[in-house]
Amino acid sequence: MKMYPNTKAAKFFPALALLAAAGLLSLLVGKYPLSLAKLLAGDEMQTQVFLTLRLPRSLMAVLGGFALGAAGYVFQTVFCNPLAAPDMIGVSSGASAGAAFAILFLSGSPLAVTASSFLGGLLAVGIALGLASAVRGQYFSGRGTYSAGNGTIVLAGIAVHSLAQTILMILKLTADPERQLASIEYWIMGSLSAITLRQIPFYCAVCVAGLTGIFLLHRQIVLLSVEESEARMLGVPVGKMRLLVLFLATLTVASVISVTGVISFIGLLAPHIARLLTRDNRLPALALSGLMGGFLLTLADILARSAASAELPVSIFTSLLGAPFLLYLILNGKGDRNHDG
Amino acid sequence: MKRTLAILLTLTMLTVTACGGGSSSPAETTAAAGAESAKTQSAEAENAETQSAEAENAETKANETENAETAAAQSITYPVTVTDQIGREVTIEKEPETLVSGYYISTSLLIALGLKDRLTGIETKAGSRNIYHLSAPEIIGLPSVGTAKEFDLEGCAALEPDLIVLPAKLKDVIPSLEELGLTVIAVNPEDKALLEEAVTLLGTATNTMDRAASLLAFHDEQLEPLTAALSGTDQPTVCLTGNSSFLSVAGPAMYQNSLIEQAAGVNAASDITEDYWADISYEQLLAWNPDYIILAADAEYSVDSVLQDENLRGCKAVDNGNVYQFPNAIEAWDSPVPSSILGSMWLASVLHGDTYPEDNWKQAAADYYETFYSFTPDLDNLYTDAE
Repeated sequence: MKMYPNTKAAKFFPALALLAAAGLLSLLVGKYPLSLAKLLAGDEMQTQVFLTLRLPRSLMAVLGGFALGAAGYVFQTVFCNPLAAPDMIGVSSGASAGAAFAILFLSGSPLAVTASSFLGGLLAVGIALGLASAVRGQYFSGRGTYSAGNGTIVLAGIAVHSLAQTILMILKLTADPERQLASIEYWIMGSLSAITLRQIPFYCAVCVAGLTGIFLLHRQIVLLSVEESEARMLGVPVGKMRLLVLFLATLTVASVISVTGVISFIGLLAPHIARLLTRDNRLPALALSGLMGGFLLTLADILARSAASAELPVSIFTSLLGAPFLLYLILNGKGDRNHDG
Repeated sequence: MKRTLAILLTLTMLTVTACGGGSSSPAETTAAAGAESAKTQSAEAENAETQSAEAENAETKANETENAETAAAQSITYPVTVTDQIGREVTIEKEPETLVSGYYISTSLLIALGLKDRLTGIETKAGSRNIYHLSAPEIIGLPSVGTAKEFDLEGCAALEPDLIVLPAKLKDVIPSLEELGLTVIAVNPEDKALLEEAVTLLGTATNTMDRAASLLAFHDEQLEPLTAALSGTDQPTVCLTGNSSFLSVAGPAMYQNSLIEQAAGVNAASDITEDYWADISYEQLLAWNPDYIILAADAEYSVDSVLQDENLRGCKAVDNGNVYQFPNAIEAWDSPVPSSILGSMWLASVLHGDTYPEDNWKQAAADYYETFYSFTPDLDNLYTDAE
């Protein structure tokens, strides 16, 4: 496969510019009437709203979308499956169960819900990956060099996902329908409306750390998508690397959705859009997955806060914006592919 | 908001249809529509029938309400046919001796109508209702027939009551109960007018029209002096926040809006179009900048959590300490219960303490609960301890 650096750059910078523009627009749109003149004049209320509410929300949309897109790329590449998404190994359902638990049994305050859903997501994936690696150990002792691959991880993930869904269902049944159930449902729908400055520093730091890890390991991630024996020959410790990469991707996703609630489609759509644009599955695709994810979520959040008098769940717009764009690229891309090929 | 969602849904459908890339031709669509038309027509006919029945029902009930006082003197002759709140005509053969209620508002109404001794089964989670503990603790241990989510059909049938009162949400189980020879009426007391209808309906069905009439009269008796006392006062802006979060508010289309208006307040969330609790952002709350923030009686969060939220600094209600919660030690006056006028009166005393002192609602509340629920309320302790 040839690299086309100029073409890549030609796709990368417009995407970066789009994300920057969306981020800027996101700072300008909101229910509180902020004005640049008053902000610059140091109006206390305007500064407070901008710094503690508007800026954190925009930042979370840009970073969160970037993280979901990049993590989606990791899952699709590692599992060699175009339909793979972060929830495949239980992170969203674990986080949802964690959030529901906090709404029911802890104070229900935003900080408790965020922490509990973060731990729930990590716990679910920790169990799934732990189970998968335990199975691998048995295969090692029984069959020498055989290593359980993606199949085991996916199976363990499905088991944990179902278990987390069951726990969530039980928690919902226990919930008071007039109070807690609505909170749980709304959390699951995903929204950036309640994000405040105090809530996000830790999760942003975790997210950035996870993303840094993913970008440092970008070569190994691509190698995980080739034949296992080939990857071994190229010096990749496949089993360990797969677990590490999936853990990093989970960490970034959990750090985002624990703050925002479940956000659908970005992890699935952004990597496809990126690959269609770059015709590549390497670093440029990873970077572009992140940029497209950030762009989609930021734009979706702008609409979620401004389309109606009340706040709307952001997932409505992520799929509404992402799906047509993806389809356009698929339909429009056929000629290109033939041409390139 | 519903309109916005409808537009979004249409857009989504259009996207999907467009992506279908002409897989279904107009002819196919027409054919499919034709095949569906029989079903649709019959559904529409049914719907129209229900609507006309409902309209008729509303008219009948309006007349019944008007004539409530006349009816007070009259007792019901059985068999009596009533139209319930989902438009069904139900004939009750004899005065019901045993009753089952699957909904807390109807259970509470039946207690107010003096029928607690006839109840043989009630909804689940009855133990969480303070009004039952205070007025009819003996019913808490009665067999449970489930909730609007999970109705216990067999358990209800096993009680063989003379009359079953269910919420409209449970309309799907009614045919099964009727097949078992049971008599069921559905109530839907979602707003003040529907609540009044429900009171009249239950009064007629159970031969307690006299109590039903005085229950309905209580509201009007209190409203007139309240309105008179508050006329000409300044109207502060009020944000009424929901059970799950203070970032969920009641818009003008909600029942709770009438409580604010009756208490001479202005709903800060007046531009919300949703007819259910609407989710908002901190920014929105700060932009509205209400004079008062009033928490729902059953709020999961505390007044302190609102006062101490640093993101709400600069909001008048928070800065001035004007954050209060509807009392919840007896029942939630901010929900459509017969006592909800007490909610308006309590709120009036919060918003206009100088012109409308709290003795007004305290006296009315004491009279109300002594008359209809046979207990003396402790009006110095208005809140249950946080769970």
